Amino acid sequence: MSLLSGQSPAPLSGQVWAFRSDTSSAHNLLMIAIGIQLALMLPSLAALVLDDRLLNGVSVWSKPLKFQASLIMMLGTLAVLLPQIETTSRNGWGVWIACLVAAMTATGEILYITLQAARGRASHFNSETQIEGLAYSLMGIGAALLVLSSLVLGLYLLTRPAADASRGLQLGGGWGLVLGSILTLITAFALGSGQIGGPGHWVGGVRSDAGGLMLFGWSRSGGDLRVPHFFATHIMQALPILGVLLEAIAPRLLIPGLFAGSLFSIAVVAGTFIQAVMGRPFL
Amino acid sequence: MSFDMVFSAASTLAMCGWLALVLLPRWPALIAFLRYAVIGILALAYATLILVYFFRIQGGGFGSIAEVRTLFSSDAILLAGWIHYLAFDLFIGTWIALEADKHGTNRILQAPILIATFLFGPLGLLIFYVTRAADMALSKRKA
Repeated sequence: MSLLSGQSPAPLSGQVWAFRSDTSSAHNLLMIAIGIQLALMLPSLAALVLDDRLLNGVSVWSKPLKFQASLIMMLGTLAVLLPQIETTSRNGWGVWIACLVAAMTATGEILYITLQAARGRASHFNSETQIEGLAYSLMGIGAALLVLSSLVLGLYLLTRPAADASRGLQLGGGWGLVLGSILTLITAFALGSGQIGGPGHWVGGVRSDAGGLMLFGWSRSGGDLRVPHFFATHIMQALPILGVLLEAIAPRLLIPGLFAGSLFSIAVVAGTFIQAVMGRPFL
Repeated sequence: MSFDMVFSAASTLAMCGWLALVLLPRWPALIAFLRYAVIGILALAYATLILVYFFRIQGGGFGSIAEVRTLFSSDAILLAGWIHYLAFDLFIGTWIALEADKHGTNRILQAPILIATFLFGPLGLLIFYVTRAADMALSKRKA
């Protein structure tokens, strides 16, 4: 009798999201988490047009949109890399818990960031009320757990690859997740500690997102610790893409190419980090 | 876009959905369109209004009539509430239509139940419940 059972034609349920044949429980966790991000991203995009409230000189919706986009990318990367892990491990507890932690922390973060935007208040570096201070600390723990879950999945990729794994995706993904996680933890800790240039991500310059770099909002008048943080997290996508490209074009150069790519990534993160600490804008 | 424009756009959209539900054949594609496109757009409009305006209302909430009245003193939240009615009523209407089809209820008899749901939501649902119960009781006695 129920609408959800029975005769529903349901063109939007089931296999639409599963672009891979992976239907493991871990994969489903990631897919649901991506769905939640998308479900909040759609009204946030509309709100960006409609809402005239500003925070740090830009729309209150700019932060949730940036987080929704990047968390979709992060969870999507994990989902794409998952099938490269050997089946027994992929269906085991370790991978499942890592994906559960990633799904729960990403969901928790975005729920709070979106709620705070709707309230017209800051989510990060906000300790004006006791609850907001607590929530900011919890977000810090959540973000660390989220990064650790990708570190765990990266180690699984490196130590337990599937027999039929695409070498480029498996190695690039493994290196990318491990290196990206470690550098993200370091840059995020530097950013969140408030020890460099005071609380916030700005170092010198005008402490506002207005007039910042297009799309990113990075400061153009002073240093911005979000720059190295951005490059650190996106190593998790850059190296798997590099791996896939190398495998297609020059498979023999896969390992040296990934090695060079890793060194280049570290250099970019270190370079932009030093630039930010010195109080100089990225561009 | 003014709230008045959103109000008429949402009402027109829902109205077209109801006309299609009452008059057109129950093509699976039509039902899917109503469920996901029409109701989906209404849900998105509702979600956007709530995200943008809900927390601006001082003293608003769901805890007492006074709090709810304060909420609805804002045109934006009043509009959101109206779209909530439109979306959920149409969703229930679609469910009633499919259930009625499943039990072989004539389309001409379905129409008044659907129109009652369109106009007064839960009243139409109540009529559907009671007619279903009566139909089941009678058909049992026949068997």
